[in-house]
Formats: sequence, C-alpha cells, structure tokens
Amino acid sequence: MRQILWTHPINLVVGLTLWSVWFVAMYGGLSVVCAIAPPDPEQGPLTLLNAGLALLTLITVAFLAWLAWKCFHASQQTTMRAAHFCAIVSAGLYLASMVAVLFVGVPVLGLSPCV
Amino acid sequence: MNDSSQDSSRKTAPEDTRRFLEDLERVWANPRGLGALTIVNHTTVGLRFMLTGMAFFLVGGVLAMLIRSQLAFPGQNFMAPEIYNQVVTMHGTVMMFLFAIPILEGLAIYMIPKMIGARDLVCPRLSAFGYWCYLFGGLILLSSLFMEMAPSSGWFMYTPLSSKVYSPGLGSDFWLLGITFVEISALSAGVELVVSILRTRTQGMALHKMPLFAWYILAMAMMIVVGFPPLILGSVLLELERAVGMPFFDVAGGGDPILWQHLFWLFGHPEVYIIFLPGAGIVSTLIPVFAGRPIVGYGWAVFAVITTGFISFGLWVHHMFTVGMPQLAQTFFSAASMLVAVPTGIQIFLWLATLWLGKPRLQVPMLWIFGFLFVFVLGGLTGVMLALVPFNWQVHDTHFVVAHMHYVLVGGMFFPLIGGLYYWLPLFSGRMPSQTLGKWGFWLTFLGFNGTFLIMHWTGLLGMPRRVYTYGADEGWQLFNLISSVSSFLMAMGIAMILVDIMLHFRFGKPARQNPWNADTLEWATSMPPSPYNFVSLPKVETRHPLWEYPQLPRTIAEGRHGLAAAFHGRREIWGTDPLTGKLREVIHIPTNSWWPLFAALALAVVCISLLLRWYPLAGIAVLVAAGFLLRWSWENGAHPRAAPDTREQPGNPPLHSRTLDGPGVWTMAVALLANGAFFLSLLFGWFYLWTISPEWSMPPESPLSLTLLVLAGLASSAGWLWLERCVRRLRRRQGAGLAKGLYMISALGAVQLGLLVWVLVLAELDVTATAHDAVLMVSLVYVMLHTGFGAVLTLLQGLRVGYGYVGVEAPLEPVVVRLLWRYNLGVYWIVVVSLAVLPRMIGGTT
Amino acid sequence: MRARLIRVWSIPAFLAVLLTGCAGNKSILDPAGRAAADVALVWWGMAGFFSLVLIMVVALGLYSFRRRSRPKLSALEEKRLARRFILGGGVLLPVATIGVLLIFGVPAGQRMLPVPLGTPPDVIQVTGHQWWWEVRYPGAEGGEVVTANQLVMPAGEPVDFHVTGADVIHSFWIPRLGGKIDMIPGHINRIRLEADSPGVFGAQCAEFCGTQHAHMQLYVEAMERSDYEAWLAERQAAKLETLAVQSDAHAPAREVFVEYCARCHRVAGLTVPDSQWELAPIQGPDLSDIGARPTLGAGVLAMEEGAIGYWLEHHQQLKPGNRMPAHLALEPPALQAIGDWLETLSP
Repeated sequence: MRQILWTHPINLVVGLTLWSVWFVAMYGGLSVVCAIAPPDPEQGPLTLLNAGLALLTLITVAFLAWLAWKCFHASQQTTMRAAHFCAIVSAGLYLASMVAVLFVGVPVLGLSPCV
Repeated sequence: MNDSSQDSSRKTAPEDTRRFLEDLERVWANPRGLGALTIVNHTTVGLRFMLTGMAFFLVGGVLAMLIRSQLAFPGQNFMAPEIYNQVVTMHGTVMMFLFAIPILEGLAIYMIPKMIGARDLVCPRLSAFGYWCYLFGGLILLSSLFMEMAPSSGWFMYTPLSSKVYSPGLGSDFWLLGITFVEISALSAGVELVVSILRTRTQGMALHKMPLFAWYILAMAMMIVVGFPPLILGSVLLELERAVGMPFFDVAGGGDPILWQHLFWLFGHPEVYIIFLPGAGIVSTLIPVFAGRPIVGYGWAVFAVITTGFISFGLWVHHMFTVGMPQLAQTFFSAASMLVAVPTGIQIFLWLATLWLGKPRLQVPMLWIFGFLFVFVLGGLTGVMLALVPFNWQVHDTHFVVAHMHYVLVGGMFFPLIGGLYYWLPLFSGRMPSQTLGKWGFWLTFLGFNGTFLIMHWTGLLGMPRRVYTYGADEGWQLFNLISSVSSFLMAMGIAMILVDIMLHFRFGKPARQNPWNADTLEWATSMPPSPYNFVSLPKVETRHPLWEYPQLPRTIAEGRHGLAAAFHGRREIWGTDPLTGKLREVIHIPTNSWWPLFAALALAVVCISLLLRWYPLAGIAVLVAAGFLLRWSWENGAHPRAAPDTREQPGNPPLHSRTLDGPGVWTMAVALLANGAFFLSLLFGWFYLWTISPEWSMPPESPLSLTLLVLAGLASSAGWLWLERCVRRLRRRQGAGLAKGLYMISALGAVQLGLLVWVLVLAELDVTATAHDAVLMVSLVYVMLHTGFGAVLTLLQGLRVGYGYVGVEAPLEPVVVRLLWRYNLGVYWIVVVSLAVLPRMIGGTT
Repeated sequence: MRARLIRVWSIPAFLAVLLTGCAGNKSILDPAGRAAADVALVWWGMAGFFSLVLIMVVALGLYSFRRRSRPKLSALEEKRLARRFILGGGVLLPVATIGVLLIFGVPAGQRMLPVPLGTPPDVIQVTGHQWWWEVRYPGAEGGEVVTANQLVMPAGEPVDFHVTGADVIHSFWIPRLGGKIDMIPGHINRIRLEADSPGVFGAQCAEFCGTQHAHMQLYVEAMERSDYEAWLAERQAAKLETLAVQSDAHAPAREVFVEYCARCHRVAGLTVPDSQWELAPIQGPDLSDIGARPTLGAGVLAMEEGAIGYWLEHHQQLKPGNRMPAHLALEPPALQAIGDWLETLSP
C-alpha cells in the first residue's frame, strides 16, 4: 500500500508546490520583516533574518531530497509501467525543486536583507 | 491495442452498422440556420474560437501598423498623442487577451478530444458559453476603439494612471469589464480541458502514453486556472475603486498602487508561459512527425513542462525590479527567472536531438518550426539578460523590452501556431496547402519580423523608452525606427500572403489523403474534415504512436469495431477513464445543443454594458437573469430526462457517470474551486500586503466585525457541512431515506449563516470609501456571503431534484459535487474569520 | 544558412559604426558613470556569449537536415546520444550560464544601492509630475533650493536621489549614469548615481505616465563640486526674491502673472493673495530661475530669446494635452510680456 503513495501522480506536482510555498515564505517573510523591523544595513548579510531564511532553505532542501529518494526508490520497486513513469518523473521533479530551492536561496548568504 | 477476439465479437451485420451510423449522425447532428447558435460540439466551438481569434489578430495587426507608421520618422503628427496611446494600449490588449490566449484555447478545444480519442470535451455547453463570453467581451472592448474612448493607460493598466482621477473617461472601464468578461471564457476552457485530459482519454491511454501535446495543454489549462484569478481580482478591485471610490490602490486612503502591479504580474508572467506552452506543444507534435521518429526523452519533456508551469509563477516580480524593493528579494526573483531557462533548454535540446536522430523533411510546417527555433531562442536569451537585475534597471521599459517580448511571444506562439495551422490544414479542410505561396509567406514574415524587432533591441539600448508617441530628431533613433517600420510592412505582407494561401487552398488545394504527413497521433484517424463525433467507435490505445503502429486504425474505427459503438439510446457518449492507468471507469453522457449558454452569456453582456454605463439597477436585474439562466441550465443535468433520455446501459460497459459517485462533475467542481481558491488567496494576499506594506494604512484599534456573530455563523455553516457529509455517506451505502429533508435543512443552515453575516455587515458600519481597510473588509464579506448563498441555493435545488427523482441512491453524483463546494466554503470562511477578525484583535490595529 | 549568419553578425558591427556617428545623449552603451559602465560591460559579455549559443543551436538544427551520413545507431547508442544532448545542452549549459551570470552580474548593481557610506552623499529629491520634473536640493546651504526640469549634480562623487511621484507613477532614469527607479506616489525610492566627470546627459521619464509621456525630458548636468555649490548659492531664496522684482519695466507683466499664472506657478519674491493659492488646481513648475534653464516644457523647446512667449501662446500645439490650460483670455502681446519678464529670471 505504501508503494502507491510514492507512485501516485500527485507526486508530479508536490515538489514544485513545496518550492512555491517556500518561495512565498521567503519573499513574504523578507518583505514583512523589512517593512516592520528592518535590521541595520551596517550588519550586511550577518543578520538573524538571513539566518532564519537560510535555515528554512536548508530544511526545505533536506525534505525535498528525502522525497526525491523515496520516489526514486519506489520507481525501482514497481513493475507497473504507468506507476514507474510517475515515480521516476516525480523523483526528477523533487530533485529539480531541491536544486531550485538551493539556487534561489543561496543569495541569502551574501546579501544584506533590506537594502 | 484491440485484441482480435474483442473485434470479432463486435462484428455486426451491415444493416445494423448502417442503423448505428444513422443514430450516431442524428444524436451528434449540428443544427443549421438560427439553430447553429445552439451548437456545443467542440469541433465547431474550437473553429469559432480560432476564426474569431484570427479576426482579432488582424485588428491587432492593423493597430501595430499604425504604431509603426507613427514612429517611422521623428516628430510625426500622424496620430494625436491621446489616439496613439489608445492604439498602443489596444494593440497589446487585443493581441494578448483577444488573440493569443483564445486562439490557443480554440486549438486545444478542437484538437484535444481528437488526440486523446474522445468524441467531445467533457462539458460542451461550458465551451460554448466560454466562446460567447469571449465574443461579446471582445466586441465590447473593441467597440471602445471605434468610439475613440479606448483604454489608454497601457495594456497593463498601471494605477493611478488608470484611476478615475487620471483616466476620467470610460476607457479603463472598458478594459477592466471587457477583459474580465473575456477571462470567463479562458477559465471555463481551462477547467474543462484539465478534466477532459485527466478523465476522458480513450481506453488504455495511461498517463505516460498520452500525446505530448496533451501534457502541454494540461499544463496550460492548469496555469490558466491558477493564473487568471489574480487579474480578475485586480480588475474587480480597480473597477470598484473607479466606480464606487473604494481606495484599494490609492495611497491617501491606505491603499497602494504597487498592489495592482503584484496582482497584474501574478497573472501576467504566467500568461507568457500560458501562451508559450501550447506553442511548444505544437513543436513537440510536429518535430517527431517530420523527423519520422518518436520524440527523444518523452519523460524529460513532461518534466520540463511541469517545471516550466510552476517556476513561471515565481517570476512575476521581474517585471517590477524598478519599483524599489530590497535587493535580496529582487535576487530571489532574478534567480528564479533564470532558472526557467533550464526546462526551456531541455525542450530545445530534446527537439534538436530528435531531429538529429531522425530523418527530417523540410516542408512548410517545418519552416515555421525553424523560424520558431531561431526567434524563440533569441528571445529566450534576451530574457535571461533581462532577468539580471542591474541590466534590467537599464533596459526596463525601453524598446529593448518591446523587442524581447515580441521575440518571445511571436517566436514562442505565432511561429508554431502558423506551423501547426499548415500542419493541420488538411484536417480542417481535407485539402493540402500550396508549397510556393506558403514558402513566400514564411520568408517574408520571418525576414520582416527580424528586421522589425532585431534592430529594436538596439534602439532600446540607445535609450528609447517604450510607449512614447514620438521622439526628437536629435536622439539618434530615427534610422533604426525607419528600418523597423519598413520591415514591419514586409511582415504584414507575409501574413497577408499566408491568409491568401489558406483561403485559396479551400478551393484549389489538392485533396489530402488519409494521414497526409504520416503522423502518429489519433486526430488523423478521424475523417477529414472531422465529423462532430470524431470517431465512430473509440479504440483502445496503449501506445504513444497509435497510427504508426496500427495504420489500419482509421478503417477499423470507421467500421465501428471498437468501443461505444451504439447510439440507439440517444446519448452523446464518451469514455470516463482512470487518470493514471486509462482503465475504463464509466460511460460519460454529455449534454447536447442548447440555447442556455448563449442566453447566459447575453445576460452577462448586459451586466457588462450596464456596469459600463453605470446603470446599476439594470446591472442588478441582469445579474439575477444570468443566474437564473445558469441555474436553469444546471437543472438539465445528471439524471434529468433531457440529459439521459434513455438509461439503458450496454452489456459489458461500465455504468453511466451520473449513477456513480466520482463522475466528471466532481472533477470539474474541484478544478473550478482551484481557480476560486487562487482568487481567494489573491484577496488574502491583498489584505496582508496592504496591512504590512501600504504606506498610509490605517486600521481601527478595535475590529468592527463582531466576533460572536461570526463564530455563530461559522457554527451554522459547520453544522450544515457535517450534515451534508452524513447525507453523502448514507448515499454511498445506498440509503436515501430523508435525503430531501436533509438537503432542505442544510440549505436553511446556509441561509442562517447568510443572515448572520448580513447582520455582521450592518453592525460593522463600514466606510468603504474612506479607508482601504474597510473596503477590503467589505469585499471579503461579500465574497463569503456570495459563496454561502450559492451553496444554499445549490443545496435547495438538490432537495428539489430529489423530489423529481433526478437525485437519489440511483443517481448520487450531484450531492457529492455540492459537498465539495461546502467544504471549500467552510475552509474559506474560517480563514476569513481568522485573518480579518481574529488576527487584528491579536496584533492590534493602528490609526 | 550563410546569409543568415552574415545578417546576424553584420548588424551589430554596422550599428557600432553608426553609434559613434550620431548618438543621442541617452545611450546606455556610452556610459558616463561607473554604474552604467559596469552594466554596459555586462551587456557586451552577455551579447557575445549568447550570440554564440544562438548560432550553435540554429546550426545544430540546420545541420541535422543536411547531414548526409547517418550512422545506424543501436537503441542504446541513441539513448546515450540523446542524454548527452539533453544533459549537456539542456541542463549543464543553462545552469552554468546563469550561475556565472548571477555571480558576475549581481555585483554590477551594488554601486547603485543607497548603502551607508563614511561621508553621506548629497541628496537630491526628484518628484515626477504629469509631465515635468520637480527637483529639490534639501541640503543646500542657506535653505532648500527648488527648480524644475533641470538637474544639476556634482561630478566625481556619488549622489543619492530620493524620488517620488506626485500624481501617477513615473520613472527616473539617466541612461548614461545608471539604472532607473520608479517614482511612485506615496513611496520614496532611493538610487545612487555618480558621474565620472562634468558633462550634460539626457534623461527621460521611463514609465508610461499618460498623454505626454514622450515629452517628459530632464536636462542633467554634472559639474565640479565648486561650480555646483556656486550654482546652488545663486539660487538662495534671498537672491531669487530680489531677482523677481528688481525691474519696474516688468511690473505690468508681473501683475498679469499674479492674476493668471500664480495659482499654479511659484516665483520666489512675488506676493500672491492667499485666495489664489487655495484655488490652485494643480501644481506647476516653480519658475524662480526659469530664465537660466536650458529647455522649456520639459524638453519641448530650447530656451532662447522670445521662446517663453512663444511657448505660452502655442503650448497646447507644441505639447498637446499638457496640464496648463490654453491662455485664451490673454492676447499674444500680454503673453510675450510675461515671457520677457520670466526670461530675466536668470540668476
């Protein structure tokens, strides 16, 4: 039964949906903090805000990596063609979402948040 | 594919076959004369969409020629500035909203059922309704141009320029109301394409066996469903600001003009991909056919389509890099914008690999695909440049952007579309296009296009801003503008030549043989031109290339040797299949020709016009009439005798969908609620955005909404929902006793909630023209009240239908559909209560 | 194939020749400040590399038609080749390109950010109106200086521009110095620009702002610090006030001005009855130093003798739809007299 969970077509959209939610959280969180309590620009990128955003990024990356692994694993187990297709493409999409999170999230390490 | 035993079992006597074909013709017949207005068949509706789109394209093209005439020389007085601004605005609006999207929807509506082996879309009346909305909305919008009161604030309508103060005429109202009207058609097409692709593929066509074009259209349709609602919300808010004075975008009243830009581009960027994806779908269909081999990397293509669809929602701010937001936020969007290059790159290279590994033939459709490759790749590359923030700050809002945008849109959409048009011409007409005129048309268009827009990058780099009606002779821009203008007329000649070619071919084209390009997909298994029912019988398809592997398929289909080869019952039938595996689940009987879509659209047109003229009483009456028409339309559904005149089922076939609990209606409702949810989330975004970012936001220290009453109303709604869940559970166990009474009581609970909400509204004494806070509260409450009322009315009608016997243990589908709405309403309601009434109490308001 | 290649390559070269011949003053490829120079460099880098990519893709596509020898490939070999196309061209190429682009491109904008500096730069406030520019120097010694449609800035040092819009959204852009920033009602946006050396630069509103968007030009001049300070000192309130009323010959014109024009236009030193101000329909440019401005009507006419009178008479033909009503109540000689007086307001 657990097999069905990872070969279900819904996996095709979960990864990038998580990416979107993460993206909105990053952009929303940044905008709200910058509007309400912006850190001192002198601090550069070493602010609590950046740390928080980086942490969120790491958690999301780890979660997506786990999902990608699960789907890949399921794709190797299943014998049904349609299920294999869904699982392997989903695994790729989870991986792509993970890379997208990393790629978009990296600037948090080097840029002042609110300038 | 068909196993032969099944085939032989279906062999019937010739006279039976003849009677079956007569039945089929009768059941699917398109009326002539005035009755043609009632046609709902996807082939006709798709063609209507495409022809109307072409007509609007010509209008948009003439406007483009006017623009290029004005800019050909510096300091020209060909058009007055106000007229020029109207022309520029309308060129963008017509091309985007009245040409690009509708014509692609039309192509999808026409093609998708044929490609997935269905006889029609799953909600044919909805497609007809969408077409009428598109036609009326487009005509209303276009009429403004002839009255010289067209919108003139640019096609993205930035406020405050488009506000009552700075655009006092009716122009902005024409845009906001007309476009919203047109968008109803986009949404209805989006919803039904999603459901059709997921649920009505022919037997055996598993998710990974459907043609790539269907994947592209699925992604496009999903993007329409999620991407259009933000603009609809924005248009509603801006129109409310203009008509009533609710200050959503007015800084003095606590609003913010930047909110409009967010809402517009939340739609506007995905829109570019909504236009590009079907174009890419055409490319992915044509390249394998002309390369004579399957596409390389089907899974990669699906991966790229899904990735593009999602990531394109994370880029909207790259149109707003100059509005002054933190650099880090800009970098997020910059990186995301560039990321979209990856799925696009994957697609381009898998097309190249397919050509490389195949034996490509260079025929006219392929010329256009090559034009696409050059133009679109160039546009994509300048797109990557524009995603880089510092470079964007320089060229934003210059002719560089104009050039880029035309490369992407004309390259990504127009070139593949014309390629596809040439490719599918034999299907539309049964005749082949000419080779010579077609080649001339291509080269003139291609050279004219590049001459117009390649040089425009340079004009932009030399500093020419977009949308200026003239420029000085001392700016150094004149030569380049002249080259652009001359080339644009070359392009116009090319397009004229294509039109001539297409018109002539209907008369002089050589008759086409079956499957003239040796294609692999099912649309070529229909007759040319196709009959309204596409397929006499629906084959079982378990391959991506049915016509390559089973060339005899067109014949066996026409001989009625596959599924659903019976029509004596008078139902229009298609298969309902499992979304993943394509296994048969039910027989879907779809509605037939009807006046209701046209009448409902006409009533909405009256709403639109009376809002435009500020005749609010008439608008109110027309809204009620439209609602009446729509509900009347919904009445003839499911187990209503008009919908299913004969309930006999064929032995061996799955049950009729109206006798199941998971018919397409549930899916349609779910996808429609997805669109609704996108609308609601945009509204929620607006609320929090204004609360945190708007410079002059003011909020009373104590929320004006009575929490007690809100909670009471919520309890009524929750009780209704629980009861409805119980009704459905009992239906599932085939227990129908007390169903009608239950439904009436649930409806009454909805009415109680509505009454309490009206009370909340009265007590709140909102001053909607004074502050954006009160205005948002009003809109949110009205949104919730409309949904509550809608839920109550639908439940009431369900109760009535139980009495008529249209709903019950034998036909349990509809309460399941209504249950989805109740779930949605309840979720939204509590989110509204928390966001609008609880959070402000916790965080505290400011004045 | 050949012809297309020639076309692709020859156009930039052809343009480069033209550029040196007849450039206007708004070319971002002719930078006069370091921020703009950085961006121009990024542009040439991107243009070069992306042209290569484009040629490669198109050539690959065309060659696939011309290929004569098609080795028979096994299914496995085909798969391997396809994977090489997709991973190499579709994944690796874009990822590497955008990675490099972000690493080198993002810092190019750093210079335009208003981050804190050791010595705070001068601040100039610019407000966009339909369709003219209001420029304020709040830090000027002896009080704020106000002018319109001309912007004078010190060269060789960063200057912070604080911009906003008075009515609709406009956009502040001096192409040869650096990027643009929107002027949004209710918001104050900041951008830092620097001119390498003294000079005159073109600028134009970059966000569509209505009927006369095309005629919303700003004349920008960078000066040595000392000249800049002298220019500001000439515009001190006390000096401008005497300038306006110094000659009795223009007294009648001044009276007409107070009656017809002073509702919208301020001239330092003119006493205007309060009732006039209350009636002001919209704000027009401050005219206290108009005689010294290089252009009229935000770039429509060059300032020369008699130009103001001509403008007053014909401004609705020269700049149709502009917010100043046509002066139907005044005869041409009266308009010319006002023009003559205004021309003397040259500090």
